[in-house]
Amino acid sequence: MIIDDERDLHERLEAAFEAISPHPAPLDDTVRWGRAIKRRRVALAIGVVAAATAVAFGVPSVVHRTDGPAPASPGRPPTVTVQAPGRGAQPGEIATGTIDGRRWWIVADLPGTNGAGPGHQDIIIAGPAVEPIERFPTMPVLRAADSLGPVSFTATISGGVQIQVGAVRANVSYLRVRLDDGSVLTLRPVTVYGTRAVAFAIPAGAQITDVVAYSRHGEIASAVPFNQPGGLAWFVSWLRPGQPQAARASGRIASGTGWSATAYLGPWGICIPVVDPQPVEVACVPSVPASAVVLNLDQGGTPEIAGGIASASVARVVVTQPDRSTAEVRLVTVGSHKFFAFAVHPGAKPLRWVAYDQAGKVVASSGR
Amino acid sequence: MNAKLDGEFREFMHARWPAMVRLAYGLTGDQGYAEDVAQAAFARAYASWARVRRSNDPDAYVRQIVVNENRNRFRKRRVPERLDGALPETALIDVPWTDVTREYDERSALIAALQRLGPRQRAVIVLRYWMDLTEPETAVALNCSVGTVKSQASRALATLRQATDLVDGGLS
Repeated sequence: MIIDDERDLHERLEAAFEAISPHPAPLDDTVRWGRAIKRRRVALAIGVVAAATAVAFGVPSVVHRTDGPAPASPGRPPTVTVQAPGRGAQPGEIATGTIDGRRWWIVADLPGTNGAGPGHQDIIIAGPAVEPIERFPTMPVLRAADSLGPVSFTATISGGVQIQVGAVRANVSYLRVRLDDGSVLTLRPVTVYGTRAVAFAIPAGAQITDVVAYSRHGEIASAVPFNQPGGLAWFVSWLRPGQPQAARASGRIASGTGWSATAYLGPWGICIPVVDPQPVEVACVPSVPASAVVLNLDQGGTPEIAGGIASASVARVVVTQPDRSTAEVRLVTVGSHKFFAFAVHPGAKPLRWVAYDQAGKVVASSGR
Repeated sequence: MNAKLDGEFREFMHARWPAMVRLAYGLTGDQGYAEDVAQAAFARAYASWARVRRSNDPDAYVRQIVVNENRNRFRKRRVPERLDGALPETALIDVPWTDVTREYDERSALIAALQRLGPRQRAVIVLRYWMDLTEPETAVALNCSVGTVKSQASRALATLRQATDLVDGGLS
């Protein structure tokens, strides 16, 4: 395409977007939605007043907190608290708490409402700790069955705060979340629209050391997450009590113009964040595949990055790109496993790959 | 909100709905998602309408929410927990470029080329060259520096100029 000048590009974009015919503006639905947001803001404001009143009059709370809120001071880790919703909590509230004394609430919308389609719901985080109010639409409805462990966490980052929301299996009584500053958050599941859920918010820079799930009879399982530098904590694998943790290892597996991919192995499993140049995607798997697997590491990136993990028996991996070019990828050993990553060439065909052992026998391939 | 303000908001939304949907479409390439994002943005504007209208630029307010909502979409992640042979292949088959060669009219080719850009480069192109925002305005909308806008625009334009499938399609 030849773009002569900016005006030319503007005209081409104008023509392209003019071809889009939006459905009629949903005026009534939008006004109803806007009114609901206003009502929620009022409810949250009332919540702030109620909480302040409770503190002022020494009303005992059901707080499960760390060593207690303390004023922030330079160089000191932020103090984080979390508590289950108390009496008078708004519908859908999963948890509330503070970061350095500034309060937050995490609330789930009724699934399928406020524009979320079937099987989806909005999760809202609000409060002075995370102003302005953030709304994360169309999140799949929380389901404990999504996880192989006792909790299925969904996470996001907004306004310098990391938010973790989890669906909890029926046998879990409570969870303990240990942060890297040594503080511990106790999470008590609440039932929200039929799902047992927990939630907490921590500063984006804080790291989660581990999470332990307890039943009434004792520890069920624990998870050491992969803490993406400056990003989210990823819960991938859960360990039974006494199960040994996998050793940690990391190494750069590939890089190109404007991107790099690094493999991190540890108690979480295997995570491969791609940096281009900001960390944008993380692909995680709980364990090494029997032969090989290829993952889409950075679908939104430019270029898009794919990569994979191969067992020790794999000697070569050959990739056929969407533009039909074929090349052998470079295998890099990290820990005791082999990794590879490569930029995907745009084209009309699906990506294909084949893994061979030393004898040239095919041990895995796309579609197998 | 009184009836006057309510009516004012409806008038504003009715007038600006197509533009905001098209903005969201330019950022996402998905018309259904674009309409969802635009509606969410207008709903938030309604909730703060008294303040938004005082800003004298309600368009900028809604535009900012559309950009933020789209950014949130890329921040939201769920861990792909299971090893599933179909997972990576399915994901790759679903990417937009598989449709590029099916339609060779200029409009769809340009949209396809836009979708191959990274999210930030795409946003810079749409805001800067379609909405005609200045570099500082684009920087504010994307919460980045003017220098980043310039470099991202430069890289994005270079990529668009080299969109070989468009050249092959006879476009000039």
